[in-house]
Amino acid sequence: MVAAGAADPLSGAAGPLAAATREGPAGTPGIYLHCLFCLRRCPYCDFNVALYREDRIAPFLDALHRELALYGREAWASRTAVESLFFGGGTPSLLEPAAIGGLIEAVARTFPVQPGAEITLEANPERLTRERLLGYRAAGVTRLSLGVQALDDRVLARLGRGHTAEEARRAFGAARAAGFAAVSVDLLYACPGQDLAGWGRGLAEVVGWGPEHLSCYALTLEPGTAFARRPLQDLPDEETQLAQYRAMVEGLGAAGYEQYEISNFARPGHRSVHNQRYWRGEEYLGLGPGAHSFLGAVRFANLRSQLRYRARLDAGLLPIESWERLSPAQRLGERIVFGLRLAEGIPRTWLAEGFAAAPATLERLLARYGEAGLLLAEGERVRLTEAGRLLADAIGADLLPAA
Amino acid sequence: MSLELIRTFSIIAHIDHGKSTLADRLLGLCGALDPRKAVDQVLDSMDLERERGITIKAHTVRLLYRARDGREYTLNLIDTPGHVDFSYEVSRSLAACEGAILVVDAAQGVEAQTLANYHLALEAGLAIIPVINKIDLPQADVEGTREQLADILGLDPEEALLISAKEGTGVPEVLEAIVRRIPPPPGAPRGPLKALVFDSFYDPYQGVVVYVRLLNGRVHPGMKVLLMSTAKVYEVQQVGVFTPALRPVEELAAGQVGYLTAGIKRVADSKVGETITDALVPTAEPFPGYREAKPMVFSGLYPVEDTAYGALRDALEKLRLNDSAFTFEPESSNALGFGFRCGFLGMLHMEIIQERLEREFGLTLIATAPSVRYRVVGAGGETVEIDNPSKLPPPDKVEVIEEPYVRGVVFVPVEFMGAVYRLAQEKRGEHRSADHLGKRVHLTFDFPLAEILVDFYDRLKSLSRGYASFDYDLLEFRPSQLVRLDILLNGEPVDALSLIVHRDKAYERGKTLAERLKGVIPRQLFEVVIQAAIGSRVIARETVRPLRKNVTAKCYGGDITRKRKLLEKQREGKKRLKQLGRVEIPQEAFLSVLKP
Ligand SMILES: Nc1nc2c(ncn2[C@@H]2O[C@H](COP(=O)(O)OP(=O)(O)OP(=O)(O)O)[C@@H](O)[C@H]2O)c(=O)[nH]1
Ligand code: SF4
Ligand SMILES: [Mg+2]
Repeated sequence: MVAAGAADPLSGAAGPLAAATREGPAGTPGIYLHCLFCLRRCPYCDFNVALYREDRIAPFLDALHRELALYGREAWASRTAVESLFFGGGTPSLLEPAAIGGLIEAVARTFPVQPGAEITLEANPERLTRERLLGYRAAGVTRLSLGVQALDDRVLARLGRGHTAEEARRAFGAARAAGFAAVSVDLLYACPGQDLAGWGRGLAEVVGWGPEHLSCYALTLEPGTAFARRPLQDLPDEETQLAQYRAMVEGLGAAGYEQYEISNFARPGHRSVHNQRYWRGEEYLGLGPGAHSFLGAVRFANLRSQLRYRARLDAGLLPIESWERLSPAQRLGERIVFGLRLAEGIPRTWLAEGFAAAPATLERLLARYGEAGLLLAEGERVRLTEAGRLLADAIGADLLPAA
Repeated sequence: MSLELIRTFSIIAHIDHGKSTLADRLLGLCGALDPRKAVDQVLDSMDLERERGITIKAHTVRLLYRARDGREYTLNLIDTPGHVDFSYEVSRSLAACEGAILVVDAAQGVEAQTLANYHLALEAGLAIIPVINKIDLPQADVEGTREQLADILGLDPEEALLISAKEGTGVPEVLEAIVRRIPPPPGAPRGPLKALVFDSFYDPYQGVVVYVRLLNGRVHPGMKVLLMSTAKVYEVQQVGVFTPALRPVEELAAGQVGYLTAGIKRVADSKVGETITDALVPTAEPFPGYREAKPMVFSGLYPVEDTAYGALRDALEKLRLNDSAFTFEPESSNALGFGFRCGFLGMLHMEIIQERLEREFGLTLIATAPSVRYRVVGAGGETVEIDNPSKLPPPDKVEVIEEPYVRGVVFVPVEFMGAVYRLAQEKRGEHRSADHLGKRVHLTFDFPLAEILVDFYDRLKSLSRGYASFDYDLLEFRPSQLVRLDILLNGEPVDALSLIVHRDKAYERGKTLAERLKGVIPRQLFEVVIQAAIGSRVIARETVRPLRKNVTAKCYGGDITRKRKLLEKQREGKKRLKQLGRVEIPQEAFLSVLKP
């Protein structure tokens, strides 16, 4: 990425970034709001997070509103329909319902939000009372994504989470009691101290709750995190991780969930509208420190530091730190590798286009993956098989067109 | 100019004893350095020389020195490399000189190349000025070094000058000694032109720049010259001197050292040792010429991508313009496709060529394990030489295999003798002699060249805490009990991984090689079975389990760029893998054959 530097998109500087922010999206984008704060940093987390302090909230919200207002000044804002809104974090549920309501209203004043748009709030179980949840619902939130992670207190402690299994159960109950009809639960497998049976028990219990959606991620040691710095002794071995994955696919399939993306499962009609945008290469506008956006053919990211983010806004400028204009080949590559993560797969024509210069290479790769039972090329579409999904990165790297 | 006022000399020493640093000081005292632009070891002008801090090519410079006798002398200095791979550069430099400054590090004392280069200088009949360098070092042992000069080299210790090239101490005395102790060049300005080619390099604009030293006559632009060994005639375009930059002059005369250009296309057309003479009035007696440097180590170089074959050939041709000591010819491998078998003077030379191909020409290469040249006597009595292990005929067609031997000299403090013997034995060395010289011992062994190529020197250094030094000279081919060790991946032999080893070592090598390959071959979609075999007998087997899981769980918050870059990186990584059937193997796999 090229640092935007002095080339401020709003000051009239020419260039791809300015074009993207001034001309806006080509279609209906999703909107992401990054709610920066958490009560602590979990030792596996590499998201852009700041420690929650009451006195930091008001300046943060103020800045978020100002960032939104800057986009509101653009001519495209009023004619751009928004089909999804996502409060991610951090821990968005640390913000009061009134604050969330204020942001939803501000977004709706700036962009016409389509009726029935998906409005998701990520929430952690701690402090999640029925009253608070009623407040979020009243504010317009339609979908709750609950960070349960595990239902074994020993594992939760190893993960450095701030809640117990019991609090998670209660939080889910409270969400239902508050009338949320679309609840997603986040779970982690391949956790330290978690064996196959333990994972199976937690999963079964969550299935019993009957959420509409589950996101189940393998714990990954991201560089720079506490887990990556001091190696863990009790991570399940590869065989166990594979067994955990298989148990998940089978268990959730049997319970009527569709694995519509490698790590995401939904009851019919309950896929995440917003997250599908990422995998399908569609546009979105991210607001808040470190948030990412994709408008037109330009990807850009905000400053991660809340101070620098605010200082930029104080100067009346968009708080963008870096941007990149995708070449057609890069764009196609993204659609291929992310599309392969989806159950629906990708049109075969994308691959043909990506490998226009080397059709024989493509045929060889497809034949090899087909033989190995990793990939299905049926008619017009190409999809990964169950075994292929576990190798999505290796296959994706092979099928990435040369830039 | 009177020959009386010319001195031509080389600086010779063991590696790192300070030749290039002394050259810096001499340049400085003679005003040939711009102090504002001064860098260390100015004559080491190639990037690689600067980075590695060693001299690879001999460098020449002309200095003007006003001596204490009030007269101005022209000094022609040739700085030489110390590494054994490049000792041929030393011998050809010496052929152009009347004198040599023999530099000895006061903290290290006399080492193997000190001795080897000293003998070269003696054979060439040069006046030798011994110089003890680095006297500023706290661990400098001036007295001990003096004794070694006397005991080992038979020099008069009183003649040794004491200097610190780094600090400049004693260097003015070196200049005076050059003028007083080295004789002026012989020669007759009036006779027919007779010039010795002692070096050359290729310049894309002027063609080959030939380094000459004139014995008789004169040469100037426009003159027609004859290169006697090829019988080709060229018209001289430019003549000049080294300041150290090339500076054109009107003519060069007997006794002088300089360069000429004459539209010569390849370095190989103006061989070192060549005699250049007047095409109209040729000299009656050419110089004897000298033994060409012959490659001793061979390795296959293959482009990782087949499409780069042409680019590799062009690059090799360009390098060869400038380096007649290295050879290449096309070869093909079932594993690696089309490439070239290249010959080098030694391992350092090989490393340098490979590095230049990658750096200067942007090529991504796979190099097979270095091999020596073997001589195979067939069942019918016919003899073939092979420099690629996979070309070894099957055992029933082979009567005898012979391999090149070297006479190796190890110089080492007495306390490490035992350790050196053990290493020599492991390397199939035959002990020839031992000479005690004070606290040191001078050991000679005959080694198979193949045994000392790879890690011998490093191990020698480490077992002696850096004190041992080593030098070798080629002997003849000798019969040995050799076998070919093959590596099979999923049952398919990989020719580029074959190697020739002594029968007694084959089992161990096969086992470690299979283990090592297991360590470097990444897990792939299929199981990979690695086998080491001699003929049809499998002696070791390892498996690389298939890759089961390679997927990012979470693609967070729209940071698609990061994910794409990771995959792009993964793809770039794969580019360095070579596809062998269905197995992808990394470059390191070929290197792992290297380590014993
Ligand atoms: N202390 C001290 N160090 C010196 C002196 N002369 C040279 N050195 C150091 O010794 C190292 C080797 O010096 P070079 O001049 O490159 O040696 P060389 O003999 O030209 O080496 P090769 O060309 O590689 O054989 C360098 O780090 C020099 O700085 C000296 O008089 N005193
Ligand atoms: S709660 Fe979520 S965002 Fe916050 S530190 Fe933990 S994992 Fe990261
Ligand atoms: Mg040097």
